[in-house]
Amino acid sequence: MIKTIKNVFSTREGSIITVLILLMCSVNPLLVVDGYAQSLPIAPTETEGFWLWKLLGRLHPSVVHFPVSLLLFAALLELFTLKNFNSKLRPGINVLIAIGALSAVVAAILGYLLSSQEAYGGDILAIHQWTGIATACLGAITSFFLYRVAQRNQLNLVKAYRSVLFFTATGVSVAGHFGGSLTHGSDYLTSVIPGSDDYQGESKSTFSFTSLKGDTARLTPEQEMEINGQVRAVFAHNCYSCHSAEKTKGDLRLDKKRLAFKGGKSGPVIIPGNPGKSELVRRITLPRNHKEAMPSKEKKLTEDEIALISFWIEKGAPWSDAADQKSIFRVAKLAHRVPPLPPATNNLQNPADLWVNEYFKKKQVSWPEAVDERTYLRRIYLDIIGLLPTPAELESFAADNRPDKRARWVRQLLNRNDDYATHWFSFWNDALRNDYTGTGYITKGRFDITNWLYKSLKYNKPYNQFVKELISPNVESKGFISGIKWRGTINASQRTEMQAAQNVAQVFLGLNLKCASCHDSFISDWKLADAYAFANIFADTTLEINRCDKPTGKFANTRILWQELGSIDSTAPTAKKLQQLAENLTQPKNGRLYRTIVNRIWAQMMGRGIVEPVDAMDNEPWSQDLLDWMAADFVKGNYNLKELIYLIATSQTYQLPSVGIKDANKIIAQDYQFAGMLRRRMFAEQFADAVSRVIEPVFPDSAVQYNPYKNAAVEPPQSFFARASLVKNNGFLAALGRPNRETVSTGRDSRANLLQALELTNGDRLNEVLKRGAENWQKKYEKGDVIIKEIYGKALNRHPSPKEFKVANALLGESPSPEAIQDLFWAIVLLPEFQLIY
Amino acid sequence: MKTNWNRREFLKNTSAATLAAMAAGAPMTSFLAACNRKKTVDAKADAVILLWMAGGMAHTETFDPKKYTVFEKGLDSNRVLSTFPSFPTALDGISFSEGLQSIGKVMDKGTLIRSYVAADLGHILHSRHQYHWHTGYEPPQTVAAPHIGAWIAKELGPVNPVIPAFIDIGQRFTVGEGEELKAFHTAGFLGNEYGPFLIPDPSSGLDSVRPPVGMSSKRFEKRNQLYNDLISHSPVGEFGSDYQKESLKTSMEQAYILLNSPEAQAFDLSQEPKEIYDVYNTGKFGLGCLMARRLTQQGARFISVTTEYEPFMGWDTHDNGHTRLKDMKKQIDGPVAQLIKDLERTGHLARTIVILASEFSRDMLMEGRPGAKVKDQVDQPDVITDLKNYGMHRHFTDGGSILMFGGGIKKGNAYGKTADERPCKTIEKPIKIDQIHQTIYHALGILGDAHYVVEERPFYTTPDGLGKPVMALFA
Repeated sequence: MIKTIKNVFSTREGSIITVLILLMCSVNPLLVVDGYAQSLPIAPTETEGFWLWKLLGRLHPSVVHFPVSLLLFAALLELFTLKNFNSKLRPGINVLIAIGALSAVVAAILGYLLSSQEAYGGDILAIHQWTGIATACLGAITSFFLYRVAQRNQLNLVKAYRSVLFFTATGVSVAGHFGGSLTHGSDYLTSVIPGSDDYQGESKSTFSFTSLKGDTARLTPEQEMEINGQVRAVFAHNCYSCHSAEKTKGDLRLDKKRLAFKGGKSGPVIIPGNPGKSELVRRITLPRNHKEAMPSKEKKLTEDEIALISFWIEKGAPWSDAADQKSIFRVAKLAHRVPPLPPATNNLQNPADLWVNEYFKKKQVSWPEAVDERTYLRRIYLDIIGLLPTPAELESFAADNRPDKRARWVRQLLNRNDDYATHWFSFWNDALRNDYTGTGYITKGRFDITNWLYKSLKYNKPYNQFVKELISPNVESKGFISGIKWRGTINASQRTEMQAAQNVAQVFLGLNLKCASCHDSFISDWKLADAYAFANIFADTTLEINRCDKPTGKFANTRILWQELGSIDSTAPTAKKLQQLAENLTQPKNGRLYRTIVNRIWAQMMGRGIVEPVDAMDNEPWSQDLLDWMAADFVKGNYNLKELIYLIATSQTYQLPSVGIKDANKIIAQDYQFAGMLRRRMFAEQFADAVSRVIEPVFPDSAVQYNPYKNAAVEPPQSFFARASLVKNNGFLAALGRPNRETVSTGRDSRANLLQALELTNGDRLNEVLKRGAENWQKKYEKGDVIIKEIYGKALNRHPSPKEFKVANALLGESPSPEAIQDLFWAIVLLPEFQLIY
Repeated sequence: MKTNWNRREFLKNTSAATLAAMAAGAPMTSFLAACNRKKTVDAKADAVILLWMAGGMAHTETFDPKKYTVFEKGLDSNRVLSTFPSFPTALDGISFSEGLQSIGKVMDKGTLIRSYVAADLGHILHSRHQYHWHTGYEPPQTVAAPHIGAWIAKELGPVNPVIPAFIDIGQRFTVGEGEELKAFHTAGFLGNEYGPFLIPDPSSGLDSVRPPVGMSSKRFEKRNQLYNDLISHSPVGEFGSDYQKESLKTSMEQAYILLNSPEAQAFDLSQEPKEIYDVYNTGKFGLGCLMARRLTQQGARFISVTTEYEPFMGWDTHDNGHTRLKDMKKQIDGPVAQLIKDLERTGHLARTIVILASEFSRDMLMEGRPGAKVKDQVDQPDVITDLKNYGMHRHFTDGGSILMFGGGIKKGNAYGKTADERPCKTIEKPIKIDQIHQTIYHALGILGDAHYVVEERPFYTTPDGLGKPVMALFA
C-alpha cells in the first residue's frame, strides 16, 4: 500500500492530482465545521461519557466527507479508464482509493462512537450504520484488489476490482444520503419538491421579524418587546408543558425571565448575542430522532420559529420586564362592538349577508345561486323544528306565490313553540349536561333542569335572563351549577364549585378554564388563582388553592375573570354572589357572552362556527365584523334566540348551496374559508324523529320521560309522537351519537362508524319499527308503485327517478310483501341523502 | 437481548478496544441490538382478554389465602382471615383457596400478583373504583375518559378488520348503578367508533352479528344490493366525496361484511364440541370466556368478560360471603383454567395477555385502608353466631390479587406479598392501576406517552403519562 502511494508521488500526473486532493481535504473540513457550527458546539453538554470519545464521535460528520468525495471521484475517473487500465489517470485513482478507503474505515469507527454517545435511534440510523460499515469494508476490498492488480500485475482481477469499486461508490452514496437524513431530517430533500407528501410549501411566515432582519441597527424598545412576545409564544406553545412552574424537566424553566437565563442542569441555555453557542438553539435544531432534540414530545419547531429564536438571541435576547405582563396568546376583545353596517345592495338586505358580501369581496368569491325550494324547506324544517317537511307541506310551499314566502315560512316554523323547543332541547341538554338519567342522580348528587329548560325554550326566554337563571338559579334551574357530585374524595379540580366555574366559562363564555383549575395554564394567560377566584363565587367558603390536587395553603380572592365586568362582594352569602355574577356577566358590554351564543347558533345551522372550536372564543373568527355585528344586534333585539335564528335562516348566506368537506379535521382549521353551509349529518334525535314521522314511531308514548302536555291546559296535537329528545338515552340513540351527558358537550361527531352501522343494520329497535311500519303500509297502500312514490315523497321530499323506481319496483312488484317493503324502508332511511342535512 | 439498551451506559462500560473490535464486526449480536433501538416498543402481544371479577373479590378467599378458621357459633370475628382451607398450586410454595383447583393447576403458565393496591378514593364505592380501574382516571373528570379497551382500539385498531376491536361481554346496564357503569364503558373523547361492542349475554351473542332475527341470508344480501343500487342512483351522489357520506358507506360495508362473514361464527357457541362447551358452561361468565376464546382465535383485539356487576350480587358480598363465594369460584374456576389451556393449545396464548382482576378486595373487619375511617361499613358482629356473618363483607383497598397469563408475561411467577395477619395488606412490591395499564400497553407495543390533545390539553393513556410498566412481570 505504502509503495503504491510512493509510486503515485513519483509521477507528474500523480502529483498534480495529489495536490488537488490535498487542497480539497483542507477546504472540506472547514466547510463542514462551518455548516455544523450550530449543531456541534465543542463545549460538552453532558457530564457522563469520556470527553475524547465524544469529541472523536463528533468528528464523524467532518471525516465522512473524505470517503464520499474521494471514492466517488475515483469511481468517476475509473469510468474514463475503462478502455485502458493503465491510463495516465491511474496513479491518481490509486491514491484516491487508498485515502478514500482508509478514511471510510476511520469514518465508520467515528460514526459508531457518535451514535453511541449521542444516542441517535431509529430505522434511518440502522440503515446508515450498516451501509456505512459495508462501504468501509468494500473500500478496503477495493484497495486490496487494486493493490493486487497494480503491484502484482494480476490483471485477471481488474473486473473484480472495478465491480467492487462501483459497489463502494453506490454504498457511499446511499450511506451519505441516510446520514444526511439523520442530520437534516428525512424530509430535507423532499420537502422542497412540490407534489411530494413532505412538501411544506412556501414558508408561511407568521412572524413579522423578517422585516426587522435587514436592520443591523439596534432594535427599538417596541420591536424588542414585540419579538420577545413572539419568542415567548413559541416557548409557551412548545416548551411550557415540560419547562415551566408545573413541570421542570432538566431544571429548566422558560416561563420566567430570570429562570430562562439561569438555564438548566447543564448550565445556561441562552447566550445573548451568540445563537451558535446557545444550547437552546442546538437542541431545537437537532434532527427529530435525536434523543436530545427539543421539543421532545411535540412536533419539531418550524423553520420560522427556529429562525425567530436565533434572531432573538443574536439581537441579545431582549426580555423586558414589562413583557412578562404582555399576553402571548391571542386574546379576543371582551367589549361589545357595533361595526358600521355596509350599505344594502340590490340583492342583499339581510345584514348578515352584507358582512358575508364584504368577506366574499375580499376573497374574490362571487355569490352562487341560492338552493331550490325543496332543499330550503328541508333545511329550515330540520334546523328549526327538527322534523322533515311532509309532502303536503312541500306542496303548499311550492304553491305559495308570495315573494317573501321563505321568510314567512321560517316565521311560521319558529312559532311552532313546542316543536321548536323539543328540537333545540337536544342541543341545550348537551351543552348544559342535562339528562333524564346519568351518574349522580342515584345519590342525589345531581339535579335535572328539564322542566325549566323546556319552558325556557318554549316561551323563548330572553337569553340574558336564561343565563341569569342558570347562574343565579331557582330550584328548577339549579342543576347546571350544582354539577355532579360523586361520593368519596375527588380531585380538587373537580369539586362542584370548580365544575361550575369550568362549565359557566365553557358554555357561556367559550373559555377553557380546565387547565387553569389545576395549574397555571399554558394554553392561555389564565392562572390557577384566576380559576379559584372565579370558583369562589360559587362557593360557600373561600376555597384553598390546590395545585395539581395538592393543597398550597393559599387562598384566592373572589372575582370575575375580567375585572371590567365589575366586582363581587366576597363577604356576601353565596346566593348574593351568584346574583352579582349573573348581573355582571349578562351586561351588554360583555360582548364575549353574546358572541359565544351567536357563534354557537351559527355553528348549529351552518355546520361550522364563525369561530372554531366553538368553545375557544379567543380564536380568530373568519369575519370579526359579522360576529360582532350579530352579537350587537342580538343584544339590541332583546336577546331573542328565535330572532337570531330568523336572521340566519332568512339570509342568502344560509341559502347558499351546501359544501362538503373531505377531511373532518379540516372543519376547525384556522385557515378555513367560508363558502356556504357545511353538510351535516342529522342528530340522533333528528334521525329517530324522521323515521318516526315517515314510517312508524320509533319510541312508544310510554317511553316519554318529559311530557310537555302533561297538566297542560291544551291537548297535545294530533301529530304528537314520542320525540327522541323526550326519551331516556338508549343504545340506539347512543350509537347514533347522543352523548352521555356527564360532561358538557357542545358538538356532535358527524362521522359514521361501524358500531352505528351495526345498530342500524341488525339492531332490534330499527328493524322492529320498520317491520311494523311495513305491515301498516301494506294494508294502507297495497300497491308497490304507490308505496315507492309515498316513501320517496315522505322521506326524501321528491319523486323517485325512473332508475330508482325501476330498482325499487323490481323488489316490490305489484303487490309487495311486508318483507319487501321493510327492506325498501331500510335502504331509504340509510341513504346518505336521507341522513344528511344538505 | 434487552431492547432498551442504554447507549451511554453501554459505552461507559466498554473499553475503546472492544469498541474497535465491534466496529470491525466481532460480537455482532450485541452490536445489532444496540443499533436497532426503535422509538416504538416491540409488541409482545396482539390481544387482551380481561376477566373482570366485578364487585370486589377478596384476596384472602381466592388467590392469597391466609390462616383458615372453620365456622362455629361464637367465633371471634377478628380470628377469621380466610373461610376456606387452601391447597397447593403448580407454583412452588403458593397455595390457593379451596374451589380454585383448576386455576391452581395452570399457574405454571402465568404470573400471580399478590400486591395490587387500589386507590384511596375516600369512600369505597364500586362504581368509582371500577371507573378508576377501567380508565386509569378517578371520576369525575373534566372530559369523558376512555376505557382501556377503547384506547387499545384507537391505537391498534382491530386485528381482524371484521371483528370489532373492543368487545365487552356479560354486562347489562339495566341494573342498579347502570348509569355509573355506562360512564366508563365508553370511548369517551376518542369517539364512539372506539367504544365497546356490547354483548350483554353471550348465549345470544350471535344475534348481534348476524342478519336481523327472521331474515334469511339471501334476503339480507338482496337488501344490501338494493341499498347499493339506490345509493348509486341518489342525486346526493352529485355532491361527490364528503366525509359523512364516505364514512356512512364504509361503515355500512363493514357491517355487511361482518354480519356475513365466516368469522361471525365465532359468536356462535353452539358450534363448540359438547365436552368443551360443558367445561365452560358455568353460567354467563363461563360462556363469556368461551366466546372470548373463539373470538381471539378469529382475531379480536380487546375483550372484556365480566362476572357482571350488580349491587350486592356476585362478588359484591355484603353478607353470606362464605356460602356465596363457593358459587362464585365454581363459576370461574373451570372456564378460566380451560381458557388458558385452550389458548395455549392453539398457540394464541403467546400473543394474548389474559388478565383477571377486581376493583378492590374484601376483609371481614377492615374497610378501605388500614387506619382510614370510612363510612357506611357493613355491620359485622364481634362474635359470629350466624353463618351469614361468616365471610369477607367489607371493602378493602390495601391488598388484592391479579392473575396474568400470556403475551410475554413470565410463567410460573409470583409477584408481591401481603401480610399474613390482619390487616392482610400489601407488604412487598405494591402495584397500582397505572402500572397495570402501562404494563398492558407496553406488552402491546403502545408507547408510554401515547396521548391526544383534548380541549387543548394533553390526555395520556395513564394520568400525565406517568404510569410505568412493571418490567419484572415480563419473561
